[in-house]
Amino acid sequence: MRTPLSLFLLLSLLLFLSSCAVVLSWKKEEFRNCNQTPFCKRARSRKPGSSPFLAADVSISDGDLVAKLVPREPDPDQEDQEPPARPLALTLSAYRDGVMRVKIDEDYPSQESPHKRRFQVPDVIVSEFESKKLWLQRVSTERVGGDEGVSSIVYLSDEYEGVVRHDPFEVYVRERSSGDRVLSMNSHGLFDFEQLREKKEGEDWEERFRSHTDTRPYGPQSISFDVSFYGADFVYGIPERAASLALKPTRGPGIDHSEPYRLFNLDVFEYLHDSPFGLYGAIPFMISHGKARGTSGFFWLNAAEMQIDVLGEGWDADSGISLPSSQKRVDTFWMSEAGIVDAFFFIGPGPKDVVKQYVGVTGNPAMPQLFATAYHQCRWNYRDEEDVENVDAKFDEHDIPYDVLWLDIEHTDGKRYFTWDKVLFPHPEEMQRKLAAKGRHMVTIVDPHIKRDESYHIHKEASKNGYYVKDASGNDFEGWCWPGSSSYIDMLSPEIRSWWADKFSFENYVGSTPSLYIWNDMNEPSVFNGPELTMPRDALHYGGVEHRELHNANGYYFHMATSDGLLKRGNGNDRPFVLSRAFFPGSQRYGAVWTGDNTAEWDQLRVSVPMILTLGLTGLSFSGADVGGFFGNPEPELLVRWYQLGAYYPFFRAHAHQDTKRREPWLFGERNTELMRDAIRTRYMLLPFFYTLFREANVTGVPVVRPLWMEFPFDEATFDKDEAFMVGNSLLVQGIFTERAKHVSVYLPGKESWYDLRTGTTYLGSKTHKLEAPEDHVPAFQRAGTIIPRRDRFRRSTTQTVNDPYTLVIALNSSQTAEGELYIDDGKSFEFKHGAYIHRRFVFKGGKLTSLNMAPATSGNLPFKSECIIERIIILGHAGGPKNALIEPGNLKAQVEFGPLLLQGRSSSGVLTIRKPGIRIADDWTIKVL
Amino acid sequence: MKAAKARAVLALLSLCVLSIAGSASSSIPTDPFVGIAPEDLKYYKSSDVIKCKDGSKKFARAQLNDDFCDCPDGTDEPGTSACPGAKFYCRNAGHSPVLLYSSRVNDGICDCCDGSDEYDGKVNCSNTCWEAGKVARDKLRNKIATYKEGVTLRKQEVEQAKLALVKDEEELTKLKNEEKVLKGLVQQLKERKEQIEKAEEQERLQKEKEEKEKKEAEEKAEKEKIKTEEEAKQEKKEGEIKAEIEDIGVANTDHEKIGLVEDTPSDQNVEDDFEPLKEIENGDNAVSRGQQANGVDQHVVEDKDESVSQVSQKESEIAVEDVSRADQMTASGKDLSEDTEALSKEELGRLVASRWTGEKTEKEDKDGIIEDSEGEDHEETSKDAHVEDEDEYASDADDDDQRYEEDDIEDDVDEDVPVEDHYDTSSSHESQSDDELDLSDTTTQTSPSWLEKIQQTVRSILQAVNLFQTPVDKSEAARVRKEYDESSAKLSKIESRISKLSDKLKYDFGKDKEFYSFYGRCFESKQNKYVYKVCPYKQATQEEGHSTTRLGQWDKFDDAYRVMIFSNGDRCWNGPDRSLKVRLRCGLKNEVAEVDEPSRCEYVALLSTPALCLEDKLKELEHKLELMENEQPRPHDEL
Repeated sequence: MRTPLSLFLLLSLLLFLSSCAVVLSWKKEEFRNCNQTPFCKRARSRKPGSSPFLAADVSISDGDLVAKLVPREPDPDQEDQEPPARPLALTLSAYRDGVMRVKIDEDYPSQESPHKRRFQVPDVIVSEFESKKLWLQRVSTERVGGDEGVSSIVYLSDEYEGVVRHDPFEVYVRERSSGDRVLSMNSHGLFDFEQLREKKEGEDWEERFRSHTDTRPYGPQSISFDVSFYGADFVYGIPERAASLALKPTRGPGIDHSEPYRLFNLDVFEYLHDSPFGLYGAIPFMISHGKARGTSGFFWLNAAEMQIDVLGEGWDADSGISLPSSQKRVDTFWMSEAGIVDAFFFIGPGPKDVVKQYVGVTGNPAMPQLFATAYHQCRWNYRDEEDVENVDAKFDEHDIPYDVLWLDIEHTDGKRYFTWDKVLFPHPEEMQRKLAAKGRHMVTIVDPHIKRDESYHIHKEASKNGYYVKDASGNDFEGWCWPGSSSYIDMLSPEIRSWWADKFSFENYVGSTPSLYIWNDMNEPSVFNGPELTMPRDALHYGGVEHRELHNANGYYFHMATSDGLLKRGNGNDRPFVLSRAFFPGSQRYGAVWTGDNTAEWDQLRVSVPMILTLGLTGLSFSGADVGGFFGNPEPELLVRWYQLGAYYPFFRAHAHQDTKRREPWLFGERNTELMRDAIRTRYMLLPFFYTLFREANVTGVPVVRPLWMEFPFDEATFDKDEAFMVGNSLLVQGIFTERAKHVSVYLPGKESWYDLRTGTTYLGSKTHKLEAPEDHVPAFQRAGTIIPRRDRFRRSTTQTVNDPYTLVIALNSSQTAEGELYIDDGKSFEFKHGAYIHRRFVFKGGKLTSLNMAPATSGNLPFKSECIIERIIILGHAGGPKNALIEPGNLKAQVEFGPLLLQGRSSSGVLTIRKPGIRIADDWTIKVL
Repeated sequence: MKAAKARAVLALLSLCVLSIAGSASSSIPTDPFVGIAPEDLKYYKSSDVIKCKDGSKKFARAQLNDDFCDCPDGTDEPGTSACPGAKFYCRNAGHSPVLLYSSRVNDGICDCCDGSDEYDGKVNCSNTCWEAGKVARDKLRNKIATYKEGVTLRKQEVEQAKLALVKDEEELTKLKNEEKVLKGLVQQLKERKEQIEKAEEQERLQKEKEEKEKKEAEEKAEKEKIKTEEEAKQEKKEGEIKAEIEDIGVANTDHEKIGLVEDTPSDQNVEDDFEPLKEIENGDNAVSRGQQANGVDQHVVEDKDESVSQVSQKESEIAVEDVSRADQMTASGKDLSEDTEALSKEELGRLVASRWTGEKTEKEDKDGIIEDSEGEDHEETSKDAHVEDEDEYASDADDDDQRYEEDDIEDDVDEDVPVEDHYDTSSSHESQSDDELDLSDTTTQTSPSWLEKIQQTVRSILQAVNLFQTPVDKSEAARVRKEYDESSAKLSKIESRISKLSDKLKYDFGKDKEFYSFYGRCFESKQNKYVYKVCPYKQATQEEGHSTTRLGQWDKFDDAYRVMIFSNGDRCWNGPDRSLKVRLRCGLKNEVAEVDEPSRCEYVALLSTPALCLEDKLKELEHKLELMENEQPRPHDEL
């Protein structure tokens, strides 16, 4: 029996503690750390040099190098160490453009072996990649360094070789001429491969976490190894997490209690802004960069939970292993719960080379529709048709452009996707048509959890056809999500994906129209009552694949199926737009991603930059963070700053939680409305530039926004910078991440100067400038030597801009030259794949601006036509004082005068402007400045 | 129409020609003065060199509407989309002229009803001005009619308010005078009463003393005898009582912490003190005590006694939460993080979902966690619903032991009668006003005699009673007491009336006191399952069945008396305190409509009222209609 007094004391204590809990709302204890994850704990405790394997039977077979990895004779001193039962099979292949692939799997004795096959992720590697394979002819052997045994060497390219060291087993890439290493695997002897085996008497394979039990019917099957990057100063990549761009060491001298970087797709409620913890997506692709050697990359195609340590300098001091390299090096340690080794070594040597090599394997980013690259307005939730109409009208009233209005889960009939709430949205088609009449689009949400309701057609068909993921005992898996009790479609099966895709046809998705596109949320998958808020690892997918083996690719398959649905809906000629929260290598082929449920805090604004840069580096060029922050209410100043920065995100969408105050741009007084309008208009003004960059990403994989070091790979000062970023190669944007900032420091890299985007003021390169923090924008600079195409007229949405004229802004460098590009197509269809586009290259040299055709000469039978003209050419940094411009062909004259750099906002001192040259964007021409 | 078509064809043709020439020009209008308002034409036509209106630059006539932006403010491009800052004027003959953002010019969407914003021939806009104008004119006419009537109503309202206010002021003055007089009388009576009491006391003491002496002598002998046997027993018993008293003390401390006692009338307090004792006697343990406190608190939270300060409400809410958490803890014996391990799969799912949605899970409901005072947990208050809004209601009891202050409730019910005639009856009702308590006899007509009567009575008493006479005359003493009690009761009623009246008069009734009649009234609107009740100068609520959620306390008028603001309503989960903005518009009835919640817990409503039917606005509307009617379309513009 408790006395009232102690009860009171307890209450006070509880009150105190619960007020603390508000601050730290990330539910840390609901997620496993490495120590609670047996495979991670086991792997991390292993000592360098403990790998039991050596390579044997090295030969060439079918153009590959093949070998067996056999266990070394067991060390008599370590009797408890169980030798691996069987050898492993290694296959090393070489591909054009500097890619080496190493596959290691169990050596199945025959096709019919009774073993469960380990899961190899299908559907990620693009078919074109296989066509780049080099047919290896021969393997040479060599004694490297002071080795007693030999190493096998194969040709990768004229500059590089692949090496398999036999004993101890090690794989690496080296430069032919110097012999310097680029990338290596198992140089520290940490490679381990737990083979599937029979359960022994009395062995307990089950794993428990909180109230959940993982039956683990196949027992331990993890894989781990070390990877070293040579000549590297930093490593980057392996999204998704809220952390710095350059990955900090997680293990080594002076680092206590740090977790490895986790790759396990999870729905993390109120995530922290600086944490190695994994979020919604996973891309096991790491890039290194350093002054000494340049850039290289390592990609492990594996969809099981992965944990990666970046090892701090001196971590191996006690190991007695010294790698034959005097260069600075970054060592890393990779661990995965299941699957096989399917590793890709990307040689580089430049940052863009590595990204190209990676998308050569996993596919190029999709070309988005023009509307999708503009501004999106979202909220959980725009409640009903009237709300939608009002918000839409308000944008017009305030002359703020926007292209897409989004509907979150509440638009559905009881969270049954593909349906509409009959009371709130009785006329969905009419609603979409009204938006479409102003050239605007709508996006509705379709999540992967299906309400278990017999009257819901999707559920009825899915359960009847056995399309759901099964639980460990073979019944339809049931979990809890928005609709309550739900099941999850098994998208691993092509048949089921095809069924799902059909659901997006206009007749199946009642109330949808051609201007409607899709948002896939919760596809990690989020299961509210599952372990770590996701699906149990022993759930079963198509073909007997365990969820543990597939988990990180779950959202990818869902995204794929949805994107395919929109493709089918548009008869293959309407580019799909699908936003996904979960992702995996290859997701870039299916649409955009965003950084999930962030919070309205300055730190979260700050971390959005490294998060988006990391996504871009790993192929996901089309990404953004919720402008304003999903949770919480941003102060107007934070919201404005977020718009100013978000205008440069590749994916530019404002979004908010349902409990937050309304925060559409006109709700914070006239001045703030003006500032947000200005930010959004900046994006619209730069859309021709952005769209050209999206095309570049589509062709090369080089992301729309880039870390500074991608453009300035030899400027060491840029290597760990992640407050500023490049848009394309031309624009540097610096965020402002503090309240009432008076000043902002900007490092401008490179030897050439930079021009303030608003004022045209010149700043020297290779210098940190302390600038006054302007209220009306975040600092942005055009790099000398570049040409940026703009559209200076504003419309309600991009749809109305198609006939509007262009402006070219030429920023001359010290040798009075500049270059830039412009890509245009119909903004919607796939005709561009058949050559229906305009791609111009503008070169300013010797006082002459020339427009060159970049489209291949044999344009398809459907050329894209545009009557659009250039209305204004602005020249920054011109040495002379020209009076006239002479246009060829036609020998026409255009007036040269001093005009504003921007038609709105802050007025600049006059900049040299060619007035109304009247030339068409589609034509070849030359303008001589006299 | 034909002409328009021809123009379009021409425009297309010229476009083709131009593009062939290799100098394709965008959409330069054929009329150089397109997009300019008539009153502005002079500005543009007056000279060949025109100034940008912001004074920044000059431009040649040829640069007017040449589809290239020269002025930062857009002066040179009123008819094209070249300048982001420019405005395009459509005449819209037959309807109202409109100024469009330049972003609308030639964007392929017909914005002007006369179609003049789309002249580049890419779309064909038909002229819909006359039909649209007709609709608009009819609408405007209706609006004007409403305004006309409304203006009259408003005048009446303002007149009545003025009279009523004068009356209030008069009453206040009178009451204050009466208060002064009565205070004096009460003081005199009090003194007299005290003197009597003093005399009585002396009398009593004298008596007691005599009796005591007598008794003492008798008892002394007897006590002496028993003393030795009883001593041990006696000591033990005293110890027990002491312990019991201490327990009660602790229980009461706890009770106060939960925030219940502040407003309890003293007579209840007395009873209240016995409660813990009863419980201890019944052997109730501390946990059940906590649960009871929890139950009690819900009433406090939901009924929100106005006289209880906001702070104490919050405290009590927090306390409730903690009590129930403590209960949960006692039950599970686990730590205070959400104890997800003990939950069933479904409960866990609901719990996790609730993090995003803030909806309560069954589990929480069961355990009685009150995160907010939203809907669900209001059932228990059903039996109190008939006394909603009332200040005087304070329940400090367990559910099975409810006590009301009966007097006040009866008063309230009696007073629930309209004071004045109002135009509207359906949507509004008088709030159960407690201003005019049973001072019926104090009202203007009867009061002089009433006060005089008392004065006389007092005078006679004071003269009649002989103070220093002992023994005191019992009937005289009783008369003094009775007269004192009655007078001071009267006084406190007058005082309370004064304070209420002066509180009322402190409110802002608008520029012309046009909102005077809103005082003490409520306007209701039913929407789906909710009844919204807007009580100006008091509060606004949302009722669903028997549960009431407070959307806000009266705060102020805003936006030049066009908006009423109610703020600091019931707390929202993960959100702000509820608030309501009531936008006012001219209407013949006081009527609430369109209650909406655009952001979570931020409500807006629309209230039509004659108070907003302003004469100036009426004139403005009439002028507008006049203009529209004068703008007859030229015959060739019509279809």
